[in-house]
Amino acid sequence: MTTAAEPITEYRSWAVEEFRLEEEPYYVPVQDEVDIFQSAWNNKIPVLLKGPTGCGKTRFIEYMAYHLNRPLAVVRDGKAEIETESNLPLVTVACHEDLTASDLVGRYLLEGNETVWIDGPLTRAVKAGAICYLDEVVEARKDTTVLIHPLTDHRRILPVEKKSQLLQARDGFLLVISFNPGYQSALKDLKQSTRQRFVAIEFDYPPRETEAEIVRHESGCDPDIALNLAKMAEKIRNLREHGLAEGASTRLLIYAGRMITQGVSPRRACQVSIVWPLTDDGEIQRSIEEVVSSIFEE
Amino acid sequence: MTDRSPSESPLDTAREALRAFPPALSQEFESAVSVVEPILEADEFGHWIETGLHVARHSLRSWEAASEYFRSSGPMLEQVTYDRMREWCDVGVGLMDTSPALAGALFRASPQVLPHLAVNQATDWAAQGQSLYKGTWKSGSLSAQYFDVSPNVLPHLPLSQMRLLVELIDSLASHSYELASACLGMAPNVLGQLERSDRAPFLEFGGIVAHTAWVDARVYFERGPVALHQVNPDQRGRYLGLAGQVALKVGRLGHPYFIESAQALSEVERDLHEGLLELAEQLAPHSGDAAMEFLKSSPRVVQRLSIDDIARWQEFGLNILQQSVDGGEAFFRLESTRGEEVMEALSSRVDLDRVSELIRMYCKALTGIDVGIKSSEELASKGVGWVDESSPTTEGTTIYLPDMVERYASKEDNFSVYKVFATHQAGRLEFGSFEYEQSRTPQVFEPAANGQSGGNGAAPPQNGDGEAPGEIHTDMERFFDRFGDRRLAHDIFTIIEDTRIDTIVKREYAGVRRALNRLQQAAAERRRPIENMPARQAMVENLLRASLDDAGNIRWPTELADQLRTPLRILNRIRHEGATVEDSAAATQLLYDWVAQVPNVELETDDWSEFEDHSMAGEQDEGDTDLMPGSGSSGLEESFMPFMPGSEERPYDSPEPVDFRGDFKPELVQLLMKLKGETGTGDAPPIPLTKEQLQELLEKSVEISINELMDMDLAESSGMFLDNLLKEVNSIQGDRPEGQQAMGDDSTGADDGDELPVEAKSFYYDEWDFRAADYKPRWCRVQEQRGEVGDVSYYRETLHAHAQLVQETRKQFEMLRPELFRKIKRLTDGEDYDLDAVIEWYTEKIAGATTETKLFYRRNKVERDVAVAFLLDVSASTDEEIQKHQDRRQDDQFDDDPRKYLSWWAQRRAEAARHPGKRIIDLEKEAVVLLIEALEAIGDKYGVYGFSGYGRDNVEFFVYKDMDEPFGDRTKERIDKIAPVRSTRMGPAIRHCIWKLQNTDAKVKILMLLSDGRPQDHGYGRDRTEKEYAIHDTKMALTEARREGMVPFALTVDRAGHDYLKQMCQDMAYEVVADIESLPRRLPALYRRLTG
Repeated sequence: MTTAAEPITEYRSWAVEEFRLEEEPYYVPVQDEVDIFQSAWNNKIPVLLKGPTGCGKTRFIEYMAYHLNRPLAVVRDGKAEIETESNLPLVTVACHEDLTASDLVGRYLLEGNETVWIDGPLTRAVKAGAICYLDEVVEARKDTTVLIHPLTDHRRILPVEKKSQLLQARDGFLLVISFNPGYQSALKDLKQSTRQRFVAIEFDYPPRETEAEIVRHESGCDPDIALNLAKMAEKIRNLREHGLAEGASTRLLIYAGRMITQGVSPRRACQVSIVWPLTDDGEIQRSIEEVVSSIFEE
Repeated sequence: MTDRSPSESPLDTAREALRAFPPALSQEFESAVSVVEPILEADEFGHWIETGLHVARHSLRSWEAASEYFRSSGPMLEQVTYDRMREWCDVGVGLMDTSPALAGALFRASPQVLPHLAVNQATDWAAQGQSLYKGTWKSGSLSAQYFDVSPNVLPHLPLSQMRLLVELIDSLASHSYELASACLGMAPNVLGQLERSDRAPFLEFGGIVAHTAWVDARVYFERGPVALHQVNPDQRGRYLGLAGQVALKVGRLGHPYFIESAQALSEVERDLHEGLLELAEQLAPHSGDAAMEFLKSSPRVVQRLSIDDIARWQEFGLNILQQSVDGGEAFFRLESTRGEEVMEALSSRVDLDRVSELIRMYCKALTGIDVGIKSSEELASKGVGWVDESSPTTEGTTIYLPDMVERYASKEDNFSVYKVFATHQAGRLEFGSFEYEQSRTPQVFEPAANGQSGGNGAAPPQNGDGEAPGEIHTDMERFFDRFGDRRLAHDIFTIIEDTRIDTIVKREYAGVRRALNRLQQAAAERRRPIENMPARQAMVENLLRASLDDAGNIRWPTELADQLRTPLRILNRIRHEGATVEDSAAATQLLYDWVAQVPNVELETDDWSEFEDHSMAGEQDEGDTDLMPGSGSSGLEESFMPFMPGSEERPYDSPEPVDFRGDFKPELVQLLMKLKGETGTGDAPPIPLTKEQLQELLEKSVEISINELMDMDLAESSGMFLDNLLKEVNSIQGDRPEGQQAMGDDSTGADDGDELPVEAKSFYYDEWDFRAADYKPRWCRVQEQRGEVGDVSYYRETLHAHAQLVQETRKQFEMLRPELFRKIKRLTDGEDYDLDAVIEWYTEKIAGATTETKLFYRRNKVERDVAVAFLLDVSASTDEEIQKHQDRRQDDQFDDDPRKYLSWWAQRRAEAARHPGKRIIDLEKEAVVLLIEALEAIGDKYGVYGFSGYGRDNVEFFVYKDMDEPFGDRTKERIDKIAPVRSTRMGPAIRHCIWKLQNTDAKVKILMLLSDGRPQDHGYGRDRTEKEYAIHDTKMALTEARREGMVPFALTVDRAGHDYLKQMCQDMAYEVVADIESLPRRLPALYRRLTG
């Protein structure tokens, strides 16, 4: 994903560790999370982001990656010189329940009659000094914690077992993980020994006015619409834990806002971009639709 | 007079001849002669005598007939000429050959019959009577009775229709002369009760009844007319015709249907009868039952559907009827889900119980509070201060709404009414109507001068600000304390606060604006005329009208326009954005000061004009300074003087409440909240309060009019009220998150900790009617209750007795413990290379073969996530000893012959008592104990339940261990008490188990049914011996389980189980445990196989 220039997004490709954000991602700080993250990065303390889905965790990490600068060493005519400051590369890994340690570290692949070692995304981030963002880390298999532990304490070391190597992380490398305490079952909680290696920043959906502003900015919809969407989200979130696993995320609100901007009627837009994605339960769908129809006239 | 020879006169001859007969005849003759002789010509007289003698001489007892002849002659001749009479009497004479008694009866009746019949009808009349005579004594007297009642029947019935009666009686007589005679005797009275046009149809239907169900005839004669009177007079003939048509089809049931349907029709408006009958007539050719069931259901149907919609509903049912008679009949009996659905779809009415869950979620979303939704009736019945059973309201934790809304012609509109109701009540919670705090300052009004207002009030002193711990006075109460006229203050506050809420709702929820406007308008139109209200009341009424956003509806004397302008401005200021409940309070204070000064007298002016309200048109209002009473126009009271004819102050009456806003009792709600310990300010503990204190608090409140509550003397009812209130407070403290279990499906509460004998919880389930191919809606009531608690030692002893087996099963189950990872090989991508595959690949490659590249392996995590519900059959038959049980199989005919079965059963019981042996239930229990041990080893979730019951209303469902309940001594104790109870209605028990499993989180869900025989219960099928119905319902229930992704498994110890299990389970797994004794060993083994 990229926040590249508006008109046409051409096909582009990066090596995982070279992906950098070129434009400032839009992010509205709600509290002091920017400062906290900055301090953590300065001190090489890994960060744990907690919060419900679609409340801006990923956007925040992009925003931080863009703003955290680091001298970029450029080799020119055989001599290294520090030329510019560049933002940090960002390696994002979405974790799933079959994600194993070797998916992160790397593996041998067969090529011709030989095997070739391919670095995994975590290894690349360690080498490149990038921010490595493991999204929904509790979903991954437990063996990944074996990797996380030495990387997240003072050692900052990644053991590459199959190659019998240890990698010392380059400056700038920071492990960031996220998890959503809401819907994981008790089984999938993070272990204390893992948790206690991170500073944690808690996210929640922004307050109504802020959220409205975000929705307005991201979707380009009318401020009134944005405010109504934010109000509606607030109401729907009241149903969390009472039939709804999660409240309506800011992301969905933005989708709705965009649909409305495109000329879809607000009620319909909310239906397709909020109600239906949120739940399959007919009764709850209707309840939410009643909330929607109370807030929007058509 | 002509000449006649004195010696040979016919008279003398006759007198001579009559000596041969009993003297009574002669006497009769003489008295007749004295009347007849002067009237008749001589030859006529002679003929008359001759006829009489002819009759008398005819046969042995024919003199009696002659006597009747003589006696009736005089009266007859008063009515007709002799020629006519002769013609008439010839008919009677003709009867002599049949039976002199009949002739006598005919003569006897003749004088009274004559007025109703023409002489030439006599033959017909007599012939009908004669047709009843079959030559026997009984038939003779019946026939005679015919002539006797004729004078009383003929006024009601033309002779042509008499035939119907005769045929009816004749038909009855073939069964019972007593009955026929009784009915004939009743006929005149019965016919007299009927309209002329109904008599023939009545008799026609009677004829059919006599034919199809002759024993009902007497009842028909007794009750028929009364029943018929329940039907619209114009439609009775039609109804009888229909009843006859049906009776011909359904036989014996025809008459009960007639009575019941008429009863049903009496509950329906008469204008509808024609339409309903027409619809029923359309059904009758297809099924008589359906036609009558349709009528019987009509009262309930009419409540929900208009006649046009009923026609549509009937058409739908007719279609079903044409495909399946059973289905159609169930449809019209209202015992089919489809029937319900069609009705629901056609009806515009919205019922609370259908939308309560929806509204609950809606309100929860709006308020963020766990509100419950209940029927207003329920709150009223609690007797805690709310009395109105139909208006919406809230007491802070639950929103109460009317049972149904049927105001508009479409469902959407009616639902929108609910929505407005709910939104307004939710608004009170969301926007803080009950959170008034004295210390908070208003936002759009100047803070009121702290202190008393309404100088005329005898307001009690305030307690200052410092709130003592345990303070029982609420801020709302103290606020109202400031006013002399509490009721007036309360009314004003209500108007203002409702205005505030409505305004915010309209601003915040643009989508309900339209529906709200509509209701406001409707409410405004319903207001009572204002013109004869006294002035203060009129002002309050106008404020209320203004609050409905309908300025055009305000009426006020033009001359006094200024006096209303400011109050309206005050009211409208509450509409400003940011206004809080404290603003409402401040506004109340300002308004009260105005309104209280307005004398409550009738105004002498005719000039009630429409009031133009400028402030509503968005005119700027300028500060608070001029909102004080009397400012601008000096002396408010004086300005009213010219219009007061010196009449007296009238008592002040509150304005009529507005329906969609409902009851508003902020003081009581604050008190309740305080008592429950949930004040807005913090988590103050609940305040213990004596009854006396409470009473004191409540006495001054105007929100409760105790005498409205009950028709008792004041002291008693207020005491009752206080009790109720305290009970309510305590009960809510008991189970706080009440909202969650709003209606119907209660979750199994957490109230099992303290083993009080918990009342059974009721659940309703549909039942499958395979004949109708449809569900009977909410047919069975399952009563869930905890199993009785016994002794823990049973469990221990069982384990001990089976120590070896326990060991074995435990070990086997422990081996089932999931390996956490299972290696899957030959994948295109995976964790790592599978070395074997790579070597193979490489060798083949070198050998030059093209090989596949599936060289990876992956370890897949296998998690055991199983939940199982065990459903034990604890019906009475499990009481059988095993030995006996096996014996029984050898002579199995008992299953088919229930009469024999009973005596056999009693015998068995007696034997069993003598030699107590192991019963089926004992083995079931042992098996359960072993299984529990095994399950505890493996860690699966499980529940153990039993079921029994009698009839559809009473399916008992015992919980020995619930799904989420931890295993402990309690469970062991309950298992001890598992005991045989009653019948076996499996379907609902299975459905309840499905519900339990649905609420359990697991990947694999198993429903294991352990029984000892086929399902059977009272009413579980056409009769006790029918097996099909029960088996089909059980099968359907098992299929439902499958549909829910569960694994149903049936296990029976009934050796004959194969035949019905095959049908019940079809492609599902089942097992018949042939050797019952092996059950304890078999059950765990089966379970392992099922989940392994």
